[in-house]
Amino acid sequence: MAGLFLFYLSAGVTVAGALAVVALPAPMYSVLSLIAAFLGLAGLYLSLGAEFVAAVQVIIYAGAIMVLFLFVVMLLDMRREERKPLRLPVQKLAGALIGVVIFAVLLRVIYSGNVLSGAKGIYPAARVSEIGNTQALGKILFTDYLLPFQAMGVLLFVGIVGAVVLARRRAD
Amino acid sequence: MAPLEHYLIVSALLFSIGVVGVVVRRNAIVVVMSIELMLNAGNLAFVAFARFLDSMDGQLIVFFVMGVAAAEAAVGLAILILIYRNRESTDVDELNLLKL
Repeated sequence: MAGLFLFYLSAGVTVAGALAVVALPAPMYSVLSLIAAFLGLAGLYLSLGAEFVAAVQVIIYAGAIMVLFLFVVMLLDMRREERKPLRLPVQKLAGALIGVVIFAVLLRVIYSGNVLSGAKGIYPAARVSEIGNTQALGKILFTDYLLPFQAMGVLLFVGIVGAVVLARRRAD
Repeated sequence: MAPLEHYLIVSALLFSIGVVGVVVRRNAIVVVMSIELMLNAGNLAFVAFARFLDSMDGQLIVFFVMGVAAAEAAVGLAILILIYRNRESTDVDELNLLKL
């Protein structure tokens, strides 16, 4: 019962936050509602028994990445471009149409009856709660997924170097 | 616990909202945020499937998606700052130098 309540609360916060990101005119409000949506997602992960993912969602996504967005929104003065007409007036209609079509296709797939046809893994919820979520994750991450883990380190390094190279002022 | 379909519906909703945001919004920063929404919709589907298939792999893939999202946000926002320095605006309607 509590799990169901957590699901509906978090799902409501997530979807409302996502809608606000797209609907609110000022970028500042969009950033704040995106943080709310990410916190709601953390609640959803909790209701799925993925405690470590929920913690990382709050720390990395709602913390680190959104602070980056906040910095950029505050650094660039973006109030001026709020009240301009769209270049293509049909854009809003077309966007809504595309969204509805994609959602309908996804719904059709979800209710096609065989979404859960994959083979069962070896980590049922009881076993995970016995080992501990974080410990089970760490064991897999540093054995089966060692190469992707290292590759991600390289990717993040390249990302840092790229951001610094792009954003510095030219010396001329 | 809520059934798998409910989690997938939330995920599908998030993804559709992200698509609408990319198409409708003209501010490049909001467009990047809508892309983050779509990445998170994928993450939610991964974790939900992992839980209902008794597997941990879906939860691990979420970390890799987060890493890619962090790198993408860092580089993307640096590019946005450069664009703003050159054009005094981040409106994607005005970035039409490549147009014929």
